[in-house]
Amino acid sequence: MDKAEIKKRLKEIQSLPTLPPIVSKLNEMVADEDITAVKLGKVIEKDQVLTSKLLKMVNSSFFGFPQRISTVSNAIVLLGFNVIKTLIVTSSIFEVMQASDVGLFEHSLGCATACGIIAKRRGIKNPEEVSTAGLIHDLGKIVLRSELPEEYEAIVKEAKEKGLYMREVEQERIGTGHGEIGGILARQWNLPERLVFPIEYHHKPEKAPDFKEIAAIVHFSDILIRAIGFGYGGDPWVPALDHGAWERIKLTKSQMREVIAELDEKLVELQDFTLEIKIEG
Amino acid sequence: MARISLVTSSSFNRQDERLCLEAKGHTVSFKKDVAKALEAILSDPPDILIIEKGLERNLDREVISALKNNLQLALMPIILVVSERDIATSLDWDCYTVDDIISNRATVEELLTRIELSIARSHRVADNNPLTKLPGNSSILKSIQNMLDQKKPHAVCYVDIDNFKPYNDKYGFSRGDEVIRMVGRILVNVVQEHCGSEGFVGHVGGDDFVFHVPIEKAEAVCQDVIKNFSALIPLFLDEEDLEAGYFTSTDRQGNVLKFPLTTLSIAVVPCEPCRYSHYGEVASTAAKLKKKVKSMEGSNYFIDRRKFKPAKKQCGSCS
Repeated sequence: MDKAEIKKRLKEIQSLPTLPPIVSKLNEMVADEDITAVKLGKVIEKDQVLTSKLLKMVNSSFFGFPQRISTVSNAIVLLGFNVIKTLIVTSSIFEVMQASDVGLFEHSLGCATACGIIAKRRGIKNPEEVSTAGLIHDLGKIVLRSELPEEYEAIVKEAKEKGLYMREVEQERIGTGHGEIGGILARQWNLPERLVFPIEYHHKPEKAPDFKEIAAIVHFSDILIRAIGFGYGGDPWVPALDHGAWERIKLTKSQMREVIAELDEKLVELQDFTLEIKIEG
Repeated sequence: MARISLVTSSSFNRQDERLCLEAKGHTVSFKKDVAKALEAILSDPPDILIIEKGLERNLDREVISALKNNLQLALMPIILVVSERDIATSLDWDCYTVDDIISNRATVEELLTRIELSIARSHRVADNNPLTKLPGNSSILKSIQNMLDQKKPHAVCYVDIDNFKPYNDKYGFSRGDEVIRMVGRILVNVVQEHCGSEGFVGHVGGDDFVFHVPIEKAEAVCQDVIKNFSALIPLFLDEEDLEAGYFTSTDRQGNVLKFPLTTLSIAVVPCEPCRYSHYGEVASTAAKLKKKVKSMEGSNYFIDRRKFKPAKKQCGSCS
Protein backbone atom coordinates (compact mmCIF):
# COMPACT_ATOMS: atom_id res chain seq x y z
CA MET A 1 0.00 0.00 0.00
CA ASP A 2 1.53 3.33 -0.98
CA LYS A 3 0.41 6.95 -1.13
CA ALA A 4 -0.88 6.85 -4.68
CA GLU A 5 -3.01 3.85 -3.94
CA ILE A 6 -4.36 5.47 -0.80
CA LYS A 7 -5.28 8.58 -2.76
CA LYS A 8 -7.16 6.39 -5.20
CA ARG A 9 -8.98 4.70 -2.34
CA LEU A 10 -9.91 8.06 -0.84
CA LYS A 11 -11.67 9.03 -4.07
CA GLU A 12 -14.07 6.14 -3.67
CA ILE A 13 -15.09 6.91 -0.11
CA GLN A 14 -18.75 7.87 0.05
CA SER A 15 -19.23 7.86 3.77
CA LEU A 16 -17.43 6.91 6.95
CA PRO A 17 -18.86 4.84 9.78
CA THR A 18 -19.40 6.12 13.29
CA LEU A 19 -20.26 4.77 16.73
CA PRO A 20 -23.51 2.77 16.85
CA PRO A 21 -24.79 4.32 20.13
CA ILE A 22 -24.65 7.84 18.68
CA VAL A 23 -26.57 6.82 15.62
CA SER A 24 -29.20 4.99 17.67
CA LYS A 25 -29.55 7.98 19.99
CA LEU A 26 -30.10 10.27 16.99
CA ASN A 27 -32.56 7.82 15.44
CA GLU A 28 -34.58 7.90 18.66
CA MET A 29 -34.52 11.69 18.63
CA VAL A 30 -35.71 11.79 15.03
CA ALA A 31 -38.77 9.70 15.97
CA ASP A 32 -39.79 12.35 18.51
CA GLU A 33 -42.35 14.74 17.04
CA ASP A 34 -41.11 17.81 18.85
CA ILE A 35 -37.54 17.43 17.74
CA THR A 36 -35.89 20.37 15.96
CA ALA A 37 -32.90 20.61 13.66
CA VAL A 38 -31.10 22.65 16.32
CA LYS A 39 -31.47 19.88 18.90
CA LEU A 40 -30.15 17.28 16.45
CA GLY A 41 -27.26 19.62 15.73
CA LYS A 42 -26.26 19.59 19.41
CA VAL A 43 -25.62 15.84 19.20
CA ILE A 44 -24.18 15.84 15.70
CA GLU A 45 -21.57 18.43 16.65
CA LYS A 46 -20.15 15.99 19.21
CA ASP A 47 -19.30 13.39 16.57
CA GLN A 48 -16.50 13.97 14.10
CA VAL A 49 -17.84 11.64 11.43
CA LEU A 50 -21.38 13.03 11.35
CA THR A 51 -20.08 16.58 11.53
CA SER A 52 -17.80 16.09 8.57
CA LYS A 53 -20.61 14.38 6.67
CA LEU A 54 -22.88 17.36 7.26
CA LEU A 55 -20.17 19.76 6.12
CA LYS A 56 -19.48 17.64 3.06
CA MET A 57 -23.10 17.88 2.05
CA VAL A 58 -23.55 21.62 2.59
CA ASN A 59 -20.32 22.43 0.75
CA SER A 60 -21.22 20.14 -2.17
CA SER A 61 -21.96 21.49 -5.61
CA PHE A 62 -25.67 20.71 -5.34
CA PHE A 63 -26.23 22.82 -2.26
CA GLY A 64 -24.01 25.37 -3.88
CA PHE A 65 -21.89 26.79 -1.09
CA PRO A 66 -18.45 25.50 -2.07
CA GLN A 67 -15.86 25.84 0.69
CA ARG A 68 -17.99 28.34 2.51
CA ILE A 69 -19.56 26.60 5.52
CA SER A 70 -17.44 25.49 8.45
CA THR A 71 -19.76 24.96 11.41
CA VAL A 72 -22.62 22.62 12.27
CA SER A 73 -24.98 25.41 13.30
CA ASN A 74 -24.61 27.17 9.95
CA ALA A 75 -24.88 23.88 8.07
CA ILE A 76 -28.21 22.99 9.68
CA VAL A 77 -29.74 26.36 8.80
CA LEU A 78 -28.95 25.67 5.15
CA LEU A 79 -29.63 21.93 4.99
CA GLY A 80 -32.85 21.93 7.00
CA PHE A 81 -34.52 19.29 9.11
CA ASN A 82 -35.48 16.83 6.36
CA VAL A 83 -32.01 16.51 4.90
CA ILE A 84 -30.47 16.10 8.34
CA LYS A 85 -33.02 13.47 9.23
CA THR A 86 -32.20 11.50 6.10
CA LEU A 87 -28.50 11.75 6.83
CA ILE A 88 -29.12 10.26 10.26
CA VAL A 89 -31.42 7.51 9.09
CA THR A 90 -28.94 6.40 6.47
CA SER A 91 -25.66 6.87 8.33
CA SER A 92 -23.37 3.88 8.58
CA ILE A 93 -21.87 2.48 11.75
CA PHE A 94 -18.88 0.41 12.78
CA GLU A 95 -19.91 -3.20 12.64
CA VAL A 96 -17.82 -3.95 15.68
CA MET A 97 -17.15 -1.07 18.02
CA GLN A 98 -13.74 -1.23 19.69
CA ALA A 99 -12.63 0.48 22.88
CA SER A 100 -10.18 2.56 20.84
CA ASP A 101 -13.07 3.92 18.75
CA VAL A 102 -14.67 5.37 21.87
CA GLY A 103 -11.26 6.63 22.97
CA LEU A 104 -10.78 8.50 19.72
CA PHE A 105 -14.32 9.87 19.89
CA GLU A 106 -13.63 11.28 23.37
CA HIS A 107 -10.26 12.62 22.31
CA SER A 108 -11.80 14.49 19.38
CA LEU A 109 -14.61 15.89 21.48
CA GLY A 110 -12.20 16.96 24.20
CA CYS A 111 -9.90 18.59 21.67
CA ALA A 112 -12.85 20.48 20.17
CA THR A 113 -13.82 21.74 23.61
CA ALA A 114 -10.29 22.97 24.34
CA CYS A 115 -10.11 24.64 20.91
CA GLY A 116 -13.35 26.52 21.56
CA ILE A 117 -12.16 27.81 24.94
CA ILE A 118 -8.81 29.00 23.61
CA ALA A 119 -10.32 30.53 20.47
CA LYS A 120 -12.77 32.53 22.58
CA ARG A 121 -9.96 33.77 24.81
CA ARG A 122 -7.97 34.89 21.82
CA GLY A 123 -10.95 36.88 20.63
CA ILE A 124 -11.35 34.90 17.40
CA LYS A 125 -14.56 35.96 15.67
CA ASN A 126 -15.98 32.52 15.04
CA PRO A 127 -14.78 30.20 17.83
CA GLU A 128 -17.22 27.48 16.75
CA GLU A 129 -15.20 27.12 13.56
CA VAL A 130 -12.03 26.46 15.53
CA SER A 131 -13.76 23.83 17.66
CA THR A 132 -15.01 22.17 14.46
CA ALA A 133 -11.42 22.01 13.23
CA GLY A 134 -10.46 20.44 16.56
CA LEU A 135 -13.32 17.97 16.37
CA ILE A 136 -12.39 16.63 12.95
CA HIS A 137 -8.59 16.92 13.13
CA ASP A 138 -8.18 13.12 13.35
CA LEU A 139 -10.58 12.32 10.48
CA GLY A 140 -7.66 10.56 8.78
CA LYS A 141 -7.60 8.00 11.59
CA ILE A 142 -11.23 7.10 10.91
CA VAL A 143 -10.34 6.66 7.25
CA LEU A 144 -7.53 4.26 8.14
CA ARG A 145 -9.71 2.44 10.66
CA SER A 146 -12.57 1.86 8.23
CA GLU A 147 -10.88 1.64 4.83
CA LEU A 148 -7.61 -0.08 5.74
CA PRO A 149 -8.56 -1.96 8.90
CA GLU A 150 -5.65 -4.40 8.73
CA GLU A 151 -3.05 -1.70 8.19
CA TYR A 152 -4.64 0.33 10.96
CA GLU A 153 -4.50 -2.53 13.41
CA ALA A 154 -0.86 -3.18 12.51
CA ILE A 155 -0.03 0.51 12.92
CA VAL A 156 -1.69 0.72 16.33
CA LYS A 157 0.06 -2.45 17.41
CA GLU A 158 3.49 -1.41 16.21
CA ALA A 159 3.16 2.05 17.75
CA LYS A 160 2.31 0.45 21.06
CA GLU A 161 5.02 -2.22 20.98
CA LYS A 162 7.87 -0.04 19.81
CA GLY A 163 6.77 3.02 21.76
CA LEU A 164 6.49 5.14 18.61
CA TYR A 165 4.02 7.82 17.58
CA MET A 166 1.26 6.57 15.32
CA ARG A 167 2.15 9.09 12.63
CA GLU A 168 5.75 7.77 12.56
CA VAL A 169 4.57 4.23 11.98
CA GLU A 170 2.03 5.44 9.39
CA GLN A 171 4.78 7.26 7.51
CA GLU A 172 6.94 4.19 7.52
CA ARG A 173 4.27 1.68 6.54
CA ILE A 174 2.09 3.62 4.10
CA GLY A 175 4.23 6.60 3.20
CA THR A 176 1.81 9.19 4.54
CA GLY A 177 0.15 10.16 7.81
CA HIS A 178 -3.36 10.55 9.19
CA GLY A 179 -3.05 14.34 9.04
CA GLU A 180 -2.41 14.32 5.34
CA ILE A 181 -5.05 11.67 4.68
CA GLY A 182 -7.66 13.69 6.58
CA GLY A 183 -6.58 16.79 4.68
CA ILE A 184 -6.95 15.10 1.30
CA LEU A 185 -10.41 13.83 2.17
CA ALA A 186 -11.52 17.20 3.56
CA ARG A 187 -10.34 18.93 0.39
CA GLN A 188 -12.05 16.34 -1.78
CA TRP A 189 -15.24 16.96 0.17
CA ASN A 190 -14.96 20.67 -0.60
CA LEU A 191 -14.60 21.76 3.03
CA PRO A 192 -13.28 25.30 3.58
CA GLU A 193 -9.51 25.72 3.79
CA ARG A 194 -9.96 27.08 7.29
CA LEU A 195 -10.72 23.46 8.22
CA VAL A 196 -8.54 21.62 5.68
CA PHE A 197 -5.23 23.22 6.72
CA PRO A 198 -5.64 22.69 10.46
CA ILE A 199 -6.51 19.02 9.84
CA GLU A 200 -3.59 18.50 7.49
CA TYR A 201 -1.04 20.35 9.59
CA HIS A 202 -2.11 19.63 13.14
CA HIS A 203 1.26 18.03 13.86
CA LYS A 204 3.27 20.77 12.11
CA PRO A 205 1.07 23.87 12.37
CA GLU A 206 3.74 26.37 11.27
CA LYS A 207 3.96 24.65 7.86
CA ALA A 208 0.29 25.41 7.10
CA PRO A 209 0.04 27.69 4.03
CA ASP A 210 -2.72 29.72 5.72
CA PHE A 211 -4.83 29.81 8.89
CA LYS A 212 -1.76 29.14 11.02
CA GLU A 213 -3.50 30.45 14.11
CA ILE A 214 -6.32 27.89 13.87
CA ALA A 215 -3.77 25.15 13.14
CA ALA A 216 -1.73 26.22 16.19
CA ILE A 217 -4.79 26.14 18.46
CA VAL A 218 -5.74 22.66 17.21
CA HIS A 219 -2.15 21.48 17.64
CA PHE A 220 -1.98 22.79 21.20
CA SER A 221 -5.45 21.51 22.17
CA ASP A 222 -4.61 18.05 20.79
CA ILE A 223 -1.63 17.94 23.15
CA LEU A 224 -3.43 19.54 26.10
CA ILE A 225 -6.32 17.09 26.03
CA ARG A 226 -3.95 14.10 25.97
CA ALA A 227 -2.01 15.56 28.90
CA ILE A 228 -5.24 15.91 30.86
CA GLY A 229 -6.01 12.30 30.05
CA PHE A 230 -9.44 12.68 28.46
CA GLY A 231 -10.08 10.04 25.78
CA TYR A 232 -7.34 8.28 23.86
CA GLY A 233 -5.40 9.90 21.04
CA GLY A 234 -3.76 6.67 19.88
CA ASP A 235 -0.19 7.40 21.01
CA PRO A 236 1.53 6.11 24.12
CA TRP A 237 3.08 9.55 24.77
CA VAL A 238 1.98 13.12 24.87
CA PRO A 239 3.64 14.59 21.75
CA ALA A 240 6.02 17.55 21.90
CA LEU A 241 4.71 21.07 21.48
CA ASP A 242 5.74 22.95 18.35
CA HIS A 243 7.77 25.96 19.41
CA GLY A 244 6.59 28.30 16.65
CA ALA A 245 2.95 27.42 17.27
CA TRP A 246 3.32 28.11 20.97
CA GLU A 247 4.92 31.49 20.27
CA ARG A 248 1.93 32.29 18.09
CA ILE A 249 -0.76 31.57 20.66
CA LYS A 250 1.23 31.83 23.89
CA LEU A 251 -0.76 31.91 27.13
CA THR A 252 0.62 33.13 30.43
CA LYS A 253 0.64 30.85 33.46
CA SER A 254 -2.42 32.47 34.98
CA GLN A 255 -4.29 32.38 31.63
CA MET A 256 -3.36 28.73 31.32
CA ARG A 257 -4.75 28.06 34.78
CA GLU A 258 -8.03 29.66 33.79
CA VAL A 259 -8.19 27.68 30.56
CA ILE A 260 -7.65 24.43 32.40
CA ALA A 261 -10.25 25.29 35.04
CA GLU A 262 -12.82 26.08 32.34
CA LEU A 263 -11.90 22.97 30.39
CA ASP A 264 -12.27 20.76 33.48
CA GLU A 265 -15.72 22.10 34.06
CA LYS A 266 -16.80 21.50 30.46
CA LEU A 267 -15.33 17.99 30.42
CA VAL A 268 -17.35 17.07 33.49
CA GLU A 269 -20.48 18.19 31.63
CA LEU A 270 -19.46 16.10 28.62
CA GLN A 271 -18.91 13.02 30.73
CA ASP A 272 -22.63 12.31 31.05
CA PHE A 273 -22.82 12.10 27.30
CA THR A 274 -19.69 10.03 26.76
CA LEU A 275 -20.71 7.67 29.55
CA GLU A 276 -24.03 7.08 27.84
CA ILE A 277 -22.17 6.24 24.63
CA LYS A 278 -19.83 3.85 26.42
CA ILE A 279 -22.59 2.03 28.29
CA GLU A 280 -24.73 1.55 25.24
CA GLY A 281 -21.71 0.37 23.30
CA MET B 1 -28.90 12.81 -22.15
CA ALA B 2 -29.91 12.02 -18.63
CA ARG B 3 -28.07 11.04 -15.50
CA ILE B 4 -29.83 8.02 -14.11
CA SER B 5 -29.43 6.65 -10.63
CA LEU B 6 -30.42 3.01 -10.08
CA VAL B 7 -30.96 1.70 -6.58
CA THR B 8 -31.98 -1.91 -7.02
CA SER B 9 -30.97 -5.41 -6.13
CA SER B 10 -28.57 -6.94 -8.60
CA SER B 11 -31.32 -8.91 -10.37
CA PHE B 12 -32.74 -5.81 -12.01
CA ASN B 13 -29.37 -4.44 -12.89
CA ARG B 14 -28.77 -6.74 -15.83
CA GLN B 15 -25.86 -6.03 -18.03
CA ASP B 16 -27.88 -5.51 -21.22
CA GLU B 17 -30.10 -2.86 -19.61
CA ARG B 18 -27.14 -0.82 -18.57
CA LEU B 19 -25.47 -1.18 -21.93
CA CYS B 20 -28.64 -0.11 -23.65
CA LEU B 21 -29.04 2.97 -21.51
CA GLU B 22 -25.43 3.91 -21.95
CA ALA B 23 -25.65 3.34 -25.67
CA LYS B 24 -28.43 5.94 -25.74
CA GLY B 25 -26.01 8.39 -24.15
CA HIS B 26 -27.32 8.24 -20.58
CA THR B 27 -25.02 7.98 -17.61
CA VAL B 28 -25.99 5.26 -15.17
CA SER B 29 -24.87 5.04 -11.61
CA PHE B 30 -25.85 1.86 -9.86
CA LYS B 31 -25.96 1.37 -6.12
CA LYS B 32 -27.09 -1.57 -4.03
CA ASP B 33 -26.66 0.17 -0.71
CA VAL B 34 -29.52 2.64 -0.15
CA ALA B 35 -27.66 4.67 2.45
CA LYS B 36 -24.73 5.28 0.14
CA ALA B 37 -27.04 5.96 -2.77
CA LEU B 38 -29.02 8.54 -0.86
CA GLU B 39 -25.93 10.38 0.18
CA ALA B 40 -24.80 10.53 -3.43
CA ILE B 41 -28.26 11.63 -4.58
CA LEU B 42 -28.45 14.42 -2.03
CA SER B 43 -25.04 15.80 -2.79
CA ASP B 44 -25.29 15.46 -6.56
CA PRO B 45 -28.85 14.73 -7.69
CA PRO B 46 -29.40 12.70 -10.87
CA ASP B 47 -32.08 13.54 -13.45
CA ILE B 48 -34.07 10.49 -12.59
CA LEU B 49 -34.11 7.88 -9.85
CA ILE B 50 -35.11 4.25 -10.33
CA ILE B 51 -35.59 2.50 -7.03
CA GLU B 52 -36.71 -1.02 -6.22
CA LYS B 53 -39.54 -1.65 -3.79
CA GLY B 54 -38.85 -3.69 -0.66
CA LEU B 55 -35.32 -2.65 0.15
CA GLU B 56 -33.92 -3.44 3.59
CA ARG B 57 -35.36 -1.69 6.67
CA ASN B 58 -38.17 -0.09 4.64
CA LEU B 59 -35.60 2.38 3.41
CA ASP B 60 -37.23 2.61 -0.01
CA ARG B 61 -40.22 4.42 1.48
CA GLU B 62 -38.01 6.53 3.68
CA VAL B 63 -35.90 7.61 0.71
CA ILE B 64 -38.84 8.35 -1.56
CA SER B 65 -40.65 10.48 0.99
CA ALA B 66 -37.45 12.28 1.96
CA LEU B 67 -36.83 13.25 -1.66
CA LYS B 68 -40.42 14.18 -2.41
CA ASN B 69 -40.64 16.31 0.75
CA ASN B 70 -37.55 18.20 -0.24
CA LEU B 71 -38.84 21.24 -2.08
CA GLN B 72 -35.77 21.38 -4.25
CA LEU B 73 -35.77 17.75 -5.23
CA ALA B 74 -39.50 17.09 -5.40
CA LEU B 75 -39.49 17.40 -9.17
CA MET B 76 -36.89 14.71 -9.74
CA PRO B 77 -38.86 11.83 -11.28
CA ILE B 78 -38.81 8.57 -9.34
CA ILE B 79 -39.73 5.25 -10.94
CA LEU B 80 -40.51 2.40 -8.57
CA VAL B 81 -39.56 -1.12 -9.63
CA VAL B 82 -42.31 -3.48 -8.46
CA SER B 83 -43.10 -7.16 -8.76
CA GLU B 84 -46.05 -8.62 -10.72
CA ARG B 85 -47.67 -9.33 -7.36
CA ASP B 86 -47.49 -5.66 -6.33
CA ILE B 87 -49.27 -4.77 -9.54
CA ALA B 88 -51.96 -7.34 -8.87
CA THR B 89 -52.59 -6.18 -5.30
CA SER B 90 -51.88 -2.48 -5.92
CA LEU B 91 -49.89 -0.30 -3.55
CA ASP B 92 -50.63 2.55 -1.17
CA TRP B 93 -49.70 5.50 -3.37
CA ASP B 94 -49.82 7.94 -0.47
CA CYS B 95 -46.96 5.96 1.00
CA TYR B 96 -45.10 5.53 -2.25
CA THR B 97 -45.17 9.05 -3.66
CA VAL B 98 -43.50 8.06 -6.93
CA ASP B 99 -44.06 9.30 -10.46
CA ASP B 100 -44.27 5.99 -12.24
CA ILE B 101 -43.80 2.26 -11.78
CA ILE B 102 -42.24 -0.46 -13.83
CA SER B 103 -42.42 -4.21 -13.46
CA ASN B 104 -39.19 -5.98 -12.59
CA ARG B 105 -39.89 -8.18 -15.62
CA ALA B 106 -40.26 -5.31 -18.04
CA THR B 107 -38.27 -5.36 -21.24
CA VAL B 108 -35.34 -3.08 -21.86
CA GLU B 109 -37.35 -1.16 -24.45
CA GLU B 110 -40.12 -0.46 -21.98
CA LEU B 111 -37.68 0.70 -19.34
CA LEU B 112 -36.04 3.06 -21.78
CA THR B 113 -39.36 4.50 -22.91
CA ARG B 114 -40.53 5.10 -19.35
CA ILE B 115 -37.33 6.86 -18.46
CA GLU B 116 -37.58 9.17 -21.43
CA LEU B 117 -41.24 9.88 -20.79
CA SER B 118 -40.63 10.67 -17.14
CA ILE B 119 -37.90 13.13 -17.96
CA ALA B 120 -39.95 14.80 -20.68
CA ARG B 121 -42.88 15.12 -18.28
CA SER B 122 -40.72 16.68 -15.59
CA HIS B 123 -39.53 19.32 -18.04
CA ARG B 124 -43.10 20.10 -19.01
CA VAL B 125 -44.34 20.91 -15.53
CA ALA B 126 -41.32 22.76 -14.24
CA ASP B 127 -41.42 26.51 -14.01
CA ASN B 128 -38.87 26.24 -11.23
CA ASN B 129 -36.07 28.70 -10.91
CA PRO B 130 -32.92 27.02 -12.19
CA LEU B 131 -30.76 28.54 -9.48
CA THR B 132 -32.78 27.68 -6.38
CA LYS B 133 -35.05 24.99 -7.89
CA LEU B 134 -37.94 26.76 -6.18
CA PRO B 135 -41.34 27.21 -7.90
CA GLY B 136 -41.43 30.24 -10.22
CA ASN B 137 -43.98 32.90 -11.09
CA SER B 138 -46.88 30.91 -12.44
CA SER B 139 -46.76 28.48 -9.51
CA ILE B 140 -46.56 31.37 -7.05
CA LEU B 141 -49.55 33.04 -8.61
CA LYS B 142 -51.53 29.82 -8.61
CA SER B 143 -50.66 29.04 -5.01
CA ILE B 144 -51.60 32.50 -3.69
CA GLN B 145 -54.81 32.60 -5.72
CA ASN B 146 -55.74 29.15 -4.42
CA MET B 147 -55.19 30.26 -0.89
CA LEU B 148 -57.35 33.35 -1.43
CA ASP B 149 -60.10 31.30 -3.09
CA GLN B 150 -60.14 28.79 -0.27
CA LYS B 151 -60.36 31.66 2.23
CA LYS B 152 -57.50 30.38 4.34
CA PRO B 153 -56.15 33.01 6.77
CA HIS B 154 -52.63 33.24 5.42
CA ALA B 155 -49.98 35.93 5.28
CA VAL B 156 -48.16 36.52 2.01
CA CYS B 157 -44.58 37.62 2.58
CA TYR B 158 -42.39 39.35 -0.02
CA VAL B 159 -38.69 38.97 0.58
CA ASP B 160 -35.92 40.85 -1.10
CA ILE B 161 -32.23 41.27 -0.63
CA ASP B 162 -31.20 44.89 -0.07
CA ASN B 163 -28.07 46.21 -1.71
CA PHE B 164 -27.72 43.11 -3.77
CA LYS B 165 -26.50 45.01 -6.79
CA PRO B 166 -23.39 46.48 -5.14
CA TYR B 167 -22.69 42.99 -3.77
CA ASN B 168 -22.85 41.52 -7.25
CA ASP B 169 -20.75 44.31 -8.69
CA LYS B 170 -18.09 43.82 -6.10
CA TYR B 171 -17.90 40.04 -5.68
CA GLY B 172 -19.14 38.86 -9.07
CA PHE B 173 -22.17 36.90 -10.20
CA SER B 174 -21.18 33.49 -8.94
CA ARG B 175 -20.92 34.74 -5.37
CA GLY B 176 -24.15 36.64 -5.89
CA ASP B 177 -25.76 33.36 -6.86
CA GLU B 178 -24.53 31.83 -3.62
CA VAL B 179 -26.31 34.52 -1.60
CA ILE B 180 -29.54 33.93 -3.53
CA ARG B 181 -29.27 30.20 -2.95
CA MET B 182 -28.58 30.83 0.72
CA VAL B 183 -31.73 32.93 1.10
CA GLY B 184 -33.74 30.26 -0.75
CA ARG B 185 -32.50 27.52 1.57
CA ILE B 186 -33.18 29.56 4.70
CA LEU B 187 -36.75 30.33 3.59
CA VAL B 188 -37.51 26.72 2.69
CA ASN B 189 -36.12 25.37 5.95
CA VAL B 190 -37.72 27.91 8.27
CA VAL B 191 -41.12 27.70 6.55
CA GLN B 192 -40.99 23.91 6.55
CA GLU B 193 -39.98 23.72 10.20
CA HIS B 194 -42.76 26.08 11.34
CA CYS B 195 -45.59 25.14 8.99
CA GLY B 196 -44.82 21.83 7.27
CA SER B 197 -47.04 21.40 4.24
CA GLU B 198 -49.15 24.47 5.08
CA GLY B 199 -46.40 26.79 3.92
CA PHE B 200 -45.23 27.70 0.43
CA VAL B 201 -42.00 29.23 -0.86
CA GLY B 202 -41.43 30.53 -4.38
CA HIS B 203 -38.68 32.41 -6.20
CA VAL B 204 -39.94 35.29 -8.34
CA GLY B 205 -36.50 35.75 -9.85
CA GLY B 206 -33.30 37.63 -9.12
CA ASP B 207 -33.22 38.65 -5.48
CA ASP B 208 -37.02 38.46 -5.00
CA PHE B 209 -38.79 35.67 -3.14
CA VAL B 210 -42.35 35.11 -1.95
CA PHE B 211 -43.64 32.81 0.74
CA HIS B 212 -46.98 32.37 2.43
CA VAL B 213 -47.78 30.81 5.79
CA PRO B 214 -50.77 30.61 8.17
CA ILE B 215 -51.35 34.12 9.53
CA GLU B 216 -50.53 33.30 13.15
CA LYS B 217 -47.13 31.90 12.22
CA ALA B 218 -45.97 34.78 10.04
CA GLU B 219 -44.19 36.77 12.70
CA ALA B 220 -42.21 33.83 14.14
CA VAL B 221 -41.20 32.74 10.63
CA CYS B 222 -39.99 36.25 9.75
CA GLN B 223 -38.00 36.48 12.97
CA ASP B 224 -36.27 33.16 12.32
CA VAL B 225 -35.55 34.01 8.70
CA ILE B 226 -33.91 37.28 9.72
CA LYS B 227 -32.00 35.63 12.56
CA ASN B 228 -30.62 32.92 10.25
CA PHE B 229 -29.82 35.36 7.49
CA SER B 230 -27.93 37.60 9.90
CA ALA B 231 -25.93 34.62 11.17
CA LEU B 232 -24.95 33.49 7.67
CA ILE B 233 -24.41 36.64 5.65
CA PRO B 234 -21.00 37.41 7.22
CA LEU B 235 -19.69 34.17 5.67
CA PHE B 236 -20.46 35.59 2.23
CA LEU B 237 -18.71 38.90 2.80
CA ASP B 238 -15.00 39.67 2.77
CA GLU B 239 -13.29 40.50 6.03
CA GLU B 240 -12.43 44.05 4.97
CA ASP B 241 -16.03 44.92 4.12
CA LEU B 242 -17.29 43.39 7.34
CA GLU B 243 -14.83 45.44 9.33
CA ALA B 244 -15.63 48.63 7.48
CA GLY B 245 -19.36 47.97 7.78
CA TYR B 246 -20.05 49.02 4.18
CA PHE B 247 -19.04 48.35 0.56
CA THR B 248 -16.99 50.86 -1.34
CA SER B 249 -16.96 51.01 -5.10
CA THR B 250 -15.95 53.53 -7.71
CA ASP B 251 -18.36 54.86 -10.33
CA ARG B 252 -17.49 55.79 -13.90
CA GLN B 253 -16.53 59.32 -12.93
CA GLY B 254 -14.03 57.94 -10.44
CA ASN B 255 -16.06 58.93 -7.40
CA VAL B 256 -15.82 56.60 -4.43
CA LEU B 257 -19.27 55.43 -3.34
CA LYS B 258 -20.30 53.77 -0.10
CA PHE B 259 -23.11 51.24 0.14
CA PRO B 260 -24.56 49.63 3.26
CA LEU B 261 -23.88 45.88 3.58
CA THR B 262 -26.35 43.32 2.24
CA THR B 263 -29.49 42.91 4.36
CA LEU B 264 -32.94 41.34 4.02
CA SER B 265 -36.38 42.98 3.91
CA ILE B 266 -39.69 41.19 4.30
CA ALA B 267 -43.04 42.86 3.62
CA VAL B 268 -45.89 40.89 5.21
CA VAL B 269 -49.44 41.13 3.86
CA PRO B 270 -51.95 39.41 6.15
CA CYS B 271 -54.80 38.02 4.04
CA GLU B 272 -57.77 37.48 6.28
CA PRO B 273 -60.50 35.57 4.45
CA CYS B 274 -62.26 37.92 2.00
CA ARG B 275 -59.88 40.83 2.54
CA TYR B 276 -58.46 40.31 -0.93
CA SER B 277 -60.04 38.40 -3.73
CA HIS B 278 -57.32 38.66 -6.31
CA TYR B 279 -53.56 38.13 -6.35
CA GLY B 280 -53.00 41.58 -7.87
CA GLU B 281 -54.51 43.33 -4.84
CA VAL B 282 -52.12 41.51 -2.53
CA ALA B 283 -49.21 42.51 -4.72
CA SER B 284 -50.16 46.16 -4.73
CA THR B 285 -50.42 46.29 -0.92
CA ALA B 286 -47.04 44.56 -0.80
CA ALA B 287 -45.49 47.20 -3.05
CA LYS B 288 -46.47 49.94 -0.57
CA LEU B 289 -45.13 47.97 2.39
CA LYS B 290 -41.91 47.23 0.58
CA LYS B 291 -41.08 50.93 0.35
CA LYS B 292 -41.60 51.25 4.06
CA VAL B 293 -39.48 48.26 5.08
CA LYS B 294 -36.72 49.13 2.61
CA SER B 295 -36.36 52.54 4.22
CA MET B 296 -35.59 50.94 7.58
CA GLU B 297 -31.96 50.26 8.42
CA GLY B 298 -30.63 46.68 8.63
CA SER B 299 -32.61 43.46 8.11
CA ASN B 300 -36.28 43.87 8.91
CA TYR B 301 -39.80 42.66 8.44
CA PHE B 302 -42.86 44.84 8.36
CA ILE B 303 -46.42 43.62 8.86
CA ASP B 304 -49.43 45.49 7.54
CA ARG B 305 -51.29 46.05 10.82
CA ARG B 306 -54.22 47.98 9.42
CA LYS B 307 -57.38 46.40 10.79
CA PHE B 308 -59.63 44.62 8.36
CA LYS B 309 -63.38 44.90 8.83
CA PRO B 310 -65.21 42.43 6.65
CA ALA B 311 -68.07 43.99 4.77
CA LYS B 312 -70.97 41.67 5.39
CA LYS B 313 -72.80 42.70 2.29
CA GLN B 314 -70.01 41.57 0.00
CA CYS B 315 -69.41 38.15 1.37
CA GLY B 316 -71.66 35.88 3.33
CA SER B 317 -68.97 33.55 4.52
CA CYS B 318 -67.22 36.23 6.62
CA SER B 319 -69.91 36.95 9.15
